[in-house]
Amino acid sequence: MPIVVNLDVMMAKRKMSSGELAEKIGISQANLSILKTGKAKAIRFSTMEAICKALECQPGDILEYREEE
Amino acid sequence: MWSGKRSIGLSKFCVLVFMGLLMGTVVVAPWLTAWFVSFSQTMQGAESLFMATIYIGAIPAAYLLHNLLQLLRRIEAGQVFITENVECLRRISWCCFAGAGVAAVSGFYYLAWLFVFVAAAFMGLIVRVVKNVVAQAVALKDESDYTV
Repeated sequence: MPIVVNLDVMMAKRKMSSGELAEKIGISQANLSILKTGKAKAIRFSTMEAICKALECQPGDILEYREEE
Repeated sequence: MWSGKRSIGLSKFCVLVFMGLLMGTVVVAPWLTAWFVSFSQTMQGAESLFMATIYIGAIPAAYLLHNLLQLLRRIEAGQVFITENVECLRRISWCCFAGAGVAAVSGFYYLAWLFVFVAAAFMGLIVRVVKNVVAQAVALKDESDYTV
């Protein structure tokens, strides 16, 4: 998929662990892992809002469009 | 109290009964055809043709029942909208068409087989449509499961 999830990068910048972020945004670690590994097919606005709030960032910092080769 | 689990149990029981009937038919096929041919005066000498139809038709029928049992076992285990079930339904549909093919060819020596051909082909078509619906349901469930 040409949509790349840069959650790992933002988490590293904010020095936040998966467990901490999952707890803050109210989703399971398994679901967070699905998101981080790029397996997710969709993301709810509410989840995105919670992530942006927890990581103090913009949706564009998390999601990136890359042309497929 | 009637429940979904009991309903699946009943379906499994029915499939097992049909498996038994199929095995019984295969075993008694020589006597069954001999009796039928002697009963209908016009079919003298067609025993081998009837036997061929029964034995060839028993192959897709047995495979169909096996797949049906597998499908019911998965449903019982709570695995309903999965790719394996779509494949299972696809195989069941093809078994119906194979049975319809055997009946269609058999229609050349005994016209009543054409009723079996129509029934089996119609059943195959219905199962195929159900397979398409389940395939869409699997895709929807997949998307829902991977929505965070």
